[in-house]
Amino acid sequence: MGEHEARGWIRSDETAKQMLSRVLGDRAFLLLPPLHRVPLRAGNVVEITGSSPTAKTQILIQAAITCILPKTWNGVHYGGLEKLVLFLDLDCRFDVLRLSDMLKNRLLEAYRIGNGAWWQLEESNVKTQDKSKIVYDEELYVSCMKRFLYLRCYDSLELLSTLKTLHYRIRLQEACGSQVGVLMIDSIGAFHWTDRLSSSLALDKNNRKSLSLTNVVETIVQEMKKLMQVHSLVVIATKATIYEEKYPTNENNRNISSHSDLFGNPSSKAQQPPFREFMPSSWQAFVTHKIFIRKSDDHHKSLGQQNLSAYLLEWLQPQLSSIDRFIVDDVSKLSHLQVLL
Amino acid sequence: MAPLKHLEMENSIIDACFRDFCASHGILTVEDFLLHDLYELAAFAEREANADRLKEGITVMLSLIEVKCRPLLNGMELLEDLQRNKHTLSSGDNGADSLLQGGLREGQLTELVGPSSSGKTQFCMQASASVAEKQDGRVFYIDTGNSFCARRIAQFICGSSDAAALRKRVLSRISCHTVYDIYTMFDTLQGLEVALRSQVQMNVNEYRLRLLVVDSISSLITPILGGSGSQGRALMVALGYLLKKLAHEHNIAVLVTNHTVGAGESGKTKPALGETWKSIPHVRLMLSRDHRNSNCTISILKHTSMPSGKTVRTITRKDNQQCL
Repeated sequence: MGEHEARGWIRSDETAKQMLSRVLGDRAFLLLPPLHRVPLRAGNVVEITGSSPTAKTQILIQAAITCILPKTWNGVHYGGLEKLVLFLDLDCRFDVLRLSDMLKNRLLEAYRIGNGAWWQLEESNVKTQDKSKIVYDEELYVSCMKRFLYLRCYDSLELLSTLKTLHYRIRLQEACGSQVGVLMIDSIGAFHWTDRLSSSLALDKNNRKSLSLTNVVETIVQEMKKLMQVHSLVVIATKATIYEEKYPTNENNRNISSHSDLFGNPSSKAQQPPFREFMPSSWQAFVTHKIFIRKSDDHHKSLGQQNLSAYLLEWLQPQLSSIDRFIVDDVSKLSHLQVLL
Repeated sequence: MAPLKHLEMENSIIDACFRDFCASHGILTVEDFLLHDLYELAAFAEREANADRLKEGITVMLSLIEVKCRPLLNGMELLEDLQRNKHTLSSGDNGADSLLQGGLREGQLTELVGPSSSGKTQFCMQASASVAEKQDGRVFYIDTGNSFCARRIAQFICGSSDAAALRKRVLSRISCHTVYDIYTMFDTLQGLEVALRSQVQMNVNEYRLRLLVVDSISSLITPILGGSGSQGRALMVALGYLLKKLAHEHNIAVLVTNHTVGAGESGKTKPALGETWKSIPHVRLMLSRDHRNSNCTISILKHTSMPSGKTVRTITRKDNQQCL
């Protein structure tokens, strides 16, 4: 080894300051409304459970939009992360129109707020500004839409081959500039029954691994862990409940029980989730954050609109005592109503 | 499952030697390969005499898997596919069309839920007539309960001039298939898939299949459900995915019907097929009918881009006959 090489090897790669900014950049907390109660960071795996329909995909899309929006653009603050989103659609019913409409809505909203401040400064311009003329920035819209990456799988084998090759494909996409921030899976239990059926097809000879539910999910988790080692990702997965709700859905009952938990043994709630768990233990151990959503019994009535169902969002892990109540309105917008304690 | 042997023809690297190595780790097919940790496998290959060749084989396998994967699409590409290939088809019912902002969307699976005699079959036949007449599309109608009626469909055709010729033309675009069990159903749909695929390759210049109706899907699935076994539910999910795949890849609107069952002691009814089926359809519509004045109402139970709970009253079915 030459002296030059040796010096190069000894010389530090980066200063502490550089390292700190790199680490903070990589491991920054992400606040993804409506999941903003708990700050998320790369490496976290969030699971959103709820029966269909409880606006689970809606929440994913809303979080995706925060991720693909830039922080600022042409002086207007959008508050996004400017990262790629990878959406694995296992339910195969993603509607791109909804993403597009919601994104347009967000762009207009941010633009309006941005311009509102500006109007206050120059009052004379208020009259000349025609409200109907306000349009979203097409270039910004296209660049945001291009940061949304989508893939659909019709069965577990397709999901496995996708995950096996995802690293290379992500790298290709990242070469264009942005990093992947969030990996979304909608929904993780989609192939539960078909996988369970193949569990019964035993492969007797040659120490072969069978395509059973446990093996498939174990491999999925393994591949995702490998992916998360090389890419700093937050994973958000939805999970549709596949069994009928056997527990009382009345929110008052639930509240009483959660309060008694506070005085009694706090672990009893964690042991007994409000739904019947069906994912194998390898997945359950992989998940770091758990959210449960259910339909609220009472409907929300607003002026001039029909009844809209309200939903209740509850954090099971980490366990928070507050419950968010929200509705999804006509423009597919998710709006918070109140926090129930 | 595809045995590794079949890959040797095009990839000489997957030779007997490589296959022996794989077999010693329990890998005989491509599917086995998917279940294995490839880093681990490469580490094992390292210990063998012909390590480089084995590792090259693993890389080739991986690239073969990659080729078979669907491409990553970005939001703009998805939107382009939607605007170019996936149109909305009028269902022939003004109320439903306005509720659904245009009608049934190609690429989506729409489910109609309703109690007996709430107008589900009528809706299906009306939609078939509408698609065949106004959108020049072919209709593949799967009838599981002998309720298909060509005469009723003919009544929905309301062309003004030259009625007989028009009726003949429209009806010739609708093909009805009777299916009484889920296995025949799989057969029929797989046959359809093969036919559609070869049609794409041959570039046949005839009317495109635009609507697939299954009336009713619940009568095929209900007999195999029940009990704690997973087989029935697995078949149900597989059928759902097959329909969604057909819908998406061949740009077909799929319309299925489902009946209702009682929910507990409350006297209320809910859609049949249970919790698992809920994740299958893109759009779920609830039909209900007031028998005193034969008014029909349609409400959205689930929609991919609309909040659930919207309701619309449709014209009474009797009015339709005046169309003649």
